[in-house]
Amino acid sequence: MSQAVLPAAPAPVALLGRTTTRVVGVAAVIVGIVVFKVTRQQNVPSWLDLHVQRHAQSVYHWIVQNTGRNWFLDAIKSIGNGITWCQKRGLTFLRLLHWTGVVALTFVIGYLRAGWRTATIAAASMFAIGLCGFWDLTMVTLSIMIVAVAFAMLIGVPLGIWSGLSESAERRLRPLLDTAQVMPAYVYLIPCVAFFGIGVPAAIVATLVYAVPPAVRLTSLGLRQVPVVSTEVGMSFGSTGPQLLRKVQLPLARRSVLLGLNQVIMMAFGLVVIASQIGTGDVGVRVLAGLQKLDANLAFSAGFCIVFAAIALDRITTGERSLKPGRPMPKWMADRRALWAAGLAVVVVAALSAKVLSVQQYPSWRVGIGSWAKSVIDWLDKHARHGVPLIGGTDSFNTFLVRDILIPFRSMLQSAAWWLVVGVVTLIGWVSKGWRLALLCALAFTGIAAMHNWDLAMDTLSQVLIAVIISVCLAVPIGVWSGRSRWLETALRPFLDTAQVLPQFVYLVPVVFLFRVGPTPGMIAAVIYALPPGIRLVSLGLKEVPLAPREAAISFGATPRQELIKVQLPLAFKSIMLGINQVILMVLATVIIAGLIGGGALGLEALGGFTKPNIKMGDGVAAGVSIVLLAMVLDRLTQAWGNRSDQEDRPT
Amino acid sequence: MTSIGGVGETNSSISVRGMWKVYGPKPERIVGSELADLPRKQLHAQTGNVVAMRDINMDVAPGEVFVVMGLSGSGKSTLIRCLTRLIEPTVGTVRIGDVDVTAADKETLLDVRRNKVSMVFQHFGLLPHRTLTDNVAFGLEVRGVDKTERRRKANETLELVGLSEMGSYRPHQLSGGQQQRVGLARALATDPDILLFDEPFSALDPLIRRDMQDEVIRLRHEVSKTMVFITHDLSEALRLGDRIAIMRDGMFVQVGTPESVVVDPADEYVENFVRDVPRSFVVPVEHVMRDVDGEAQFSGSVSLGTKVRDIVKLVASSELPVEVVDESGRQVGCVDRVHVLSLIAGSEP
Repeated sequence: MSQAVLPAAPAPVALLGRTTTRVVGVAAVIVGIVVFKVTRQQNVPSWLDLHVQRHAQSVYHWIVQNTGRNWFLDAIKSIGNGITWCQKRGLTFLRLLHWTGVVALTFVIGYLRAGWRTATIAAASMFAIGLCGFWDLTMVTLSIMIVAVAFAMLIGVPLGIWSGLSESAERRLRPLLDTAQVMPAYVYLIPCVAFFGIGVPAAIVATLVYAVPPAVRLTSLGLRQVPVVSTEVGMSFGSTGPQLLRKVQLPLARRSVLLGLNQVIMMAFGLVVIASQIGTGDVGVRVLAGLQKLDANLAFSAGFCIVFAAIALDRITTGERSLKPGRPMPKWMADRRALWAAGLAVVVVAALSAKVLSVQQYPSWRVGIGSWAKSVIDWLDKHARHGVPLIGGTDSFNTFLVRDILIPFRSMLQSAAWWLVVGVVTLIGWVSKGWRLALLCALAFTGIAAMHNWDLAMDTLSQVLIAVIISVCLAVPIGVWSGRSRWLETALRPFLDTAQVLPQFVYLVPVVFLFRVGPTPGMIAAVIYALPPGIRLVSLGLKEVPLAPREAAISFGATPRQELIKVQLPLAFKSIMLGINQVILMVLATVIIAGLIGGGALGLEALGGFTKPNIKMGDGVAAGVSIVLLAMVLDRLTQAWGNRSDQEDRPT
Repeated sequence: MTSIGGVGETNSSISVRGMWKVYGPKPERIVGSELADLPRKQLHAQTGNVVAMRDINMDVAPGEVFVVMGLSGSGKSTLIRCLTRLIEPTVGTVRIGDVDVTAADKETLLDVRRNKVSMVFQHFGLLPHRTLTDNVAFGLEVRGVDKTERRRKANETLELVGLSEMGSYRPHQLSGGQQQRVGLARALATDPDILLFDEPFSALDPLIRRDMQDEVIRLRHEVSKTMVFITHDLSEALRLGDRIAIMRDGMFVQVGTPESVVVDPADEYVENFVRDVPRSFVVPVEHVMRDVDGEAQFSGSVSLGTKVRDIVKLVASSELPVEVVDESGRQVGCVDRVHVLSLIAGSEP
C-alpha cells in the first residue's frame, strides 16, 4: 500500500474494506444494544465528581467578600466603573441627538457608505423602533452595544493586524479563537457576573469578549488576502514597514475589516439582548417579561424593536457603494472629508430641530404591531392547535415531538450507563479522524461526567440532536433545491438575509406563544435560527461546483438527477458539512438560551449562575463548563467529517 | 560573461556575481555542494530544499535592454526580485551602479528602491483603492514628495503613456492594456535609472501586447534607461532585447545577442526554443555576406545590421547581388540571392 509515504495518517476506517466495515459496524451496534440493556442505570460514580459546584460557589463568595480589600478585585471593580461611565456617556449622546438625530445619523451613514436605498431602509427601520413603543429602552440597548463594539474593535483590530502579519502570532492566537468561536454566547456571562457583579459592566465585558474573535479573525484574514503583488509593489518602491501597512495592506484589507465590524456588531447585538437577564434595564427585559407573563403584545412589540434595530445596524455596516465601470468617480463624491462634514451638519440640524419643534421625546405615534401579531397568534392558537391536515396542528405536533421523540430519546441517553455514552462518543471520534479526536472526545465527556450534572447534559444533548436532525433534514433539501433553481434562490434571499441578522432571542417570541412553555419552542426556535446559514452554505457549495465536471457529466448523457448525485453533491460535500457544523453550533446556542423559557437542562442551570449568583453560581459554572465541552466535541466531530473528503481523494 | 563594450561603473549598470537562491532549511549548505547537482525531485526528497537560482552572473550596461527568457519555474521571477532584494538571495552580490545592494543597510536599500530602480509587475499590481493618479504617484508618495507636486508629476506621466484625463478613474474601470500602461507610468514617475519588468505583458492579449512592446521600444529611444525584462515569450525577447539570457532550472544556459541565440544555440534546449523562429527576422545581412569579387553592379545597397528579411524584395527583383555598406557608406561585401533563399529555407548557405 502506498500509504506508508503519506504524510498524514488516514482515518482508520479507510484501512478496512467496505464489506468489513459494514460487518464490524453491525456487530458494534448489536454489542452496543446488549451492553446498553445489561448496564442500564449505572450512574456517574461519586469518586468522579470534581465538586465544581462547591468550589466555584466558595470562590464566588470569596470574591464578593474581598472586593474592597484586594487590589486585583478593586482593579476589576474600577474597570467596571469605567465601562459604566462610557456607557452612560454613550446614552447621553444618543439622548442628546434625540430621536430625530439618531434617525438622521443612520441615514447619513447609510447614504455615504452605500447609497439612497440602503439609507432609506436603515433609517426607516430605526424610525420604526419608536413606532413599536420602546424607543428609550432600545437606545439603552444601543448604548451598551456601541461601547462593547468600540472596545471589541480597539482590542480586536490590533490583534488581527498582529496575527495577519506574523505567522507565530497566528499560531498562538488560533486555538484561542477556535475555542471562543464554539462557545455559546450565554456562557460568557457567568464569569463576568462573578467578577463584575450583576449589571451593565458584566454585560458589556461579556459582549466584548464574545465579539472580539470575529474582529481579530477578519482583520487577520483581510491582511492575509492582500495579493502578494501588492505587497511587492509597496516594497519595490521603497516603502517602510509602517508605510506598507498604512498605504497598501490596511486599505486592501478594508473590506474584510468592515465585514469584521459588521459581525462584531451583530454578535454584540445578539448577546446584549440576552444580557438583559442581568439587569441592564434595556429592551430585552421587556421581551423576557412578555414571554414570562405570556403577554404576546408586550413580547412582540419589544421583539420588533430588536428586529428593527438589528436590520438598521446591519444595513449601514454591510453596504458598499460600487462604481460603475467606465466612468470616473464623480467629483463631489471624491472628497470624502467634505461629504462627512455635510453629513454631520445634517445630523446636527436634525437633532436641533427636535428641540426647536419641541418633539424631544419620540411622539406618541404607535403602530399596533404587537397587538396585530397577538391577534395572528391568537387566531393560529384557536384554529391551528388540532386538526390541521398533514401537520396535525401546533398542539398535536408539540405532543408528538415531546412525548414520542424527545422523551424516549432523552431517557435512553439518561438511562444508559455513563461510561457507555463516553465510549460511544469516543468510538465516533476514532472512526471520524483517529486517536487524537477519540482522546479529545473521551476527555471532554468524562469532564462532563465530572461536573455532576450528567442527566442535565444528556437532556441538552438530546434536545440539540433532535433539533439538528430536523434542521439538517430541512436545510439540505432546501439548500440543494435553491442551489439548482434560480427563482427559489431569489425568492429565499430576502428571508435569509433578514433571518441571519436577527438575534436568537427574538425567534423565541413567536414559538413560545405557538407551542407554549416547554422544550418544544427551544427546539423549533433553534431550527429556525439554524436554517438560514445551513441552507445558504449547502446552496453555495452546490453552486461553487465548477462548470467543467458538470458539463462533462451532461455530455455523457447524465440526467439532472445523476448530475446532482454523482457530480454536484460529492464535490459540494465539504461545504455541506461546513453547513451542518454551523447548524449544530447555532442549535446548541439556541437550545441553551431556551433554557429560560422552559427548555430546562443545562441552559437553566447556567442562567441561575448569572441571575442568582449568591446561591446558584456553582451550578452555573458547572453547567457552563459542560456546555463548552459539549460544544467542543460536536464542533470537532463535524469538522472531522467535513475534512474526510480530502483523504478519500488519495489512493488507498 | 562580460559586459558589452567594457562600460565602466556608472549609476545605471547592474552587476550580479555568483548569486544563488535556495529555499528550504539551512539553504547555505546546498550552495556549490554536490547536493546542488542532484535532480530537483531527489534534492527535495532528501533535504527539503529547492534550488530556484544557481550561480547567476550577469552584467547589464547602462542603457542596455537585458532580457531574461525562460519557462515558468525556471527562476526568472526570483532573479528579478533578488536584484532589489524583494527576495533575499542566499549568496552572491548585486551591485547597482556604485551601490552594493546585497550588503546595503536598510536606509541604502530603501534609497535604491525609491530613487534608482522601479518595477513593472506581471499582474499590474495596481492598488484598487486608489485613483490612477494616486497609483502613479505611489512611488513619489513613499519618497515623501508633497501632494500637489506628486499629483502634478503623476498626471504628466499618465499623459506620457496616453492616459491623460483619466487620472480620477479607478484601476478596475480600465482594460488590461490600460492598466499596464498605468503600471508603466507608475514605474516611470519616480524617474529611475533602471526599470525592471517582470513578465509585464504576458497577461495581455496578443494585439495589445504588441502595442505595449512598441511602447517600450519608443521609451527606449526617448528616455535612455537600463532595463531588465523578464518574459517567457521568445518573440518578445527577440524584439526587445539587446541581449538575451536563456534561463533553465535556475541557470543561464546561454547569454547573447538575439541573432547569436537564433543562429548559434548553445544546446538542444535552446535549439528547441528557437527552432520555429524565422531566422531571416533576426539574422543580419553580414551573416550571409561574402566578399565582393570584382562585381561593379548591384541591385541595391543596404547597411550593416539590416535583417535578411528586409532585403528579400531587393534580391527578388534582380539577379544581381546586393551591396552591403557600413555606417560611413564604405563597401564591406555583398549578398547573393541564393544565400538569402537558403537562409530562409533553413539550411546553411
